[in-house]
Amino acid sequence: MPDHVLELKNLTMQFGGVVAVNDLSMNIDKGEIVALIGPNGAGKTTAFNCVTGVYAPTNGQVLFGGKVIVSNHPSGKMAKMYLGADKDKFHQVAAPSPDKITRMGIARTFQNIRLFKTQTVFDNVLIATHLHRTSNLFTAVLRLNSSEEKSMREKAMHLLDIVGLADAKDEKATSLPYGKQRRLEIARALATDPTLLLLDEPAAGMNPQETDDLSEFIVELRNRFDLTIFLIEHHMALVMDISDRIYVIDFGKLIASGLPQEVRDDPEVITAYLGVDED
Amino acid sequence: MKALKWTGGILLIIIAVALLVSSISAQSDLEGLLKRLDAQNVVDLNPKMLADRDRVLESHLDNDRDRTLRNLDRYLERHGDLLLLEGTHALELTAFRSGPIVSSVGVLLMAIGAALLATVISGKAAVRKAALYAVGIVLLYVCVYVVEQIAGTSSMLVTVLKKGAIYALLAVSMNLLNGFTGLFSLGQAGFMLIGAYTYAMFTIPVESRGQVYQYYAGGLIQFQMPVILAIILAGLVAAFFAYLIGLPVLRLKSDYLAIATLGFAEIIRAVFQYDGLGPITNGSNLLRRFTTFNSALFPFIAVGICILLIILLINSTYGRAFKAIRDDEVAAEAMGINLPQHKSMAFVISCFFAGVGGALLAMYQTTVQASAFKASMTYEILLIVVLGGMGSVSGSVIASFLFIAASEWWLRFLDAETVIGTFEVPLLRSGFRMVVFSVIVMLVVLFYQKGIMGDRELSLDMFKRNGKEKRGGRNA
Repeated sequence: MPDHVLELKNLTMQFGGVVAVNDLSMNIDKGEIVALIGPNGAGKTTAFNCVTGVYAPTNGQVLFGGKVIVSNHPSGKMAKMYLGADKDKFHQVAAPSPDKITRMGIARTFQNIRLFKTQTVFDNVLIATHLHRTSNLFTAVLRLNSSEEKSMREKAMHLLDIVGLADAKDEKATSLPYGKQRRLEIARALATDPTLLLLDEPAAGMNPQETDDLSEFIVELRNRFDLTIFLIEHHMALVMDISDRIYVIDFGKLIASGLPQEVRDDPEVITAYLGVDED
Repeated sequence: MKALKWTGGILLIIIAVALLVSSISAQSDLEGLLKRLDAQNVVDLNPKMLADRDRVLESHLDNDRDRTLRNLDRYLERHGDLLLLEGTHALELTAFRSGPIVSSVGVLLMAIGAALLATVISGKAAVRKAALYAVGIVLLYVCVYVVEQIAGTSSMLVTVLKKGAIYALLAVSMNLLNGFTGLFSLGQAGFMLIGAYTYAMFTIPVESRGQVYQYYAGGLIQFQMPVILAIILAGLVAAFFAYLIGLPVLRLKSDYLAIATLGFAEIIRAVFQYDGLGPITNGSNLLRRFTTFNSALFPFIAVGICILLIILLINSTYGRAFKAIRDDEVAAEAMGINLPQHKSMAFVISCFFAGVGGALLAMYQTTVQASAFKASMTYEILLIVVLGGMGSVSGSVIASFLFIAASEWWLRFLDAETVIGTFEVPLLRSGFRMVVFSVIVMLVVLFYQKGIMGDRELSLDMFKRNGKEKRGGRNA
């Protein structure tokens, strides 16, 4: 059996006495679109942040393509305070910074859009091609890297074309409407050449029409770039529409997982999250 | 056909440069020119010729241009058949006769001609633009040269130009860090001091060291470096210190980084005055007698090269990464930008140019003393950066010339006690200038917060699109 693209093992994140993510284990296979859902404050974004290196988890491991990229166990003061399980399961410690994780092939977007505010739409995407540079400081300053610079620009333009922002390339990023800013964030993430794309509430603030477009767009991206997509979303219609599988967490704990239909009918999910049976 | 026109343009440029160079050298070296005219040394054998030539040189030394030209004419008329009056000698002679202004204008016209040619043959917008910028730069340098020839090297105007150019480099280097990378550092004076001292220590002539280091038996360093190498070394030493200090300090954010770098600058100032280092730094005594510059062209060219490099950096992929860090560190890191590496890079580069600026400042001042590099010097430069606009190179350059002109020249009258008739003008006395200056600065900061340029740059497009452009691009 081939390795999972992403695998979380007993991931726990504890802030002081609060366990934000509690013993979360899950996996995503190549080409899948998997959604992580749960009520507000359930710990979804915290789980994302553990995967992308923003936080080092208190306990547990993250495996990417079968290789351990993040691993930790409670130590020091946390060893006494630790409230979760599997305290002594992982001995390895690995906590790479977010830029290293991005270089491995995991790109993300942010729940509260984080574009480079003073830059143009084009430059926002162009910046994300920086990590694969082969030029050093001197060749870049003396313009000895013009062919690389050209290919960077072509790639950025190509991605803007795909997300439909080519016409707005010279506008300031923050002057775009909300929906387009989200698309720009996706284009920027794609410019880092990811194999796994993490989308944090991509439909937040979008109207129904924009949301519909987004569903199609995400599926198209997956097919076109041969991506695996892991998303957090509140918008049930979108989640049910495009997800291959769904994980549901509440208070940091996994309460259900499976195909969209199974999750939708799970009584525990209904009580914890959906409340009513239809969106 | 195209190649032909290109060659024509390039030839014109080469001729222009040659003319400018020969004109400058002919101005300063009439004696050498006369010797070159006379390849067979006939003058030394012919007393009459010698007398005529000495008359030319004498009037030249008196700075009497009209008399020099008259004497030169007579000399050439009487003895022309014995002299070499062809080729480069003739060119130099023409350059000398027509004077700096005429030859500068000639150079300018040729540069414009070359640019127009380049524009005509190549339909590419980029080439046209580059040609126009090139003309602008040539024009600037020619203007500086002409102004210097007319007003004199030690006039107030030229002094302001020299100091303004050096401050422009210091401000741009600070802007690279504070405005473009978003790292708020207040260590500028410390790195300038390192640069100034490094330059001064290595360019004092060996024979003068005994006098300069009089309390330290001539000091430890017993050699003299070429000027250019010493300037580069000044930058490198400042950059090296920046690297070491950056290792712990760059982990800090905003205010804490500012405090740490400010503290470092103060420590450096104290260390350089420490008596135990006297054989190297001359303790708290002045460093003097090192090589300096006369013409304003020197700082203009040095600063021009440095600022050009900074602009190239800012527009490279690394510069884009710096701006990304300024805009949003979290997002920059998520896009694969290694924060510690890039912050350190920006810090080291900024301090390299601060060191070079410090070296130029030392040359401008002709003496260096560590006690002068106070925090107030950093604040002056920070002020220029803010007035010019954080994140605008051209803003920093414009603001530094305005700042230096205002503080050194235009507002000087405020310091002089003035009596009109029997009426003594109130408030005007020593120190009032700084009060007025502070008020002006406050007004600018209150009502013009983005500074002169905001984060835009002065460019040709700006003039073209003036008015059409919506001003929507300037939200915080």
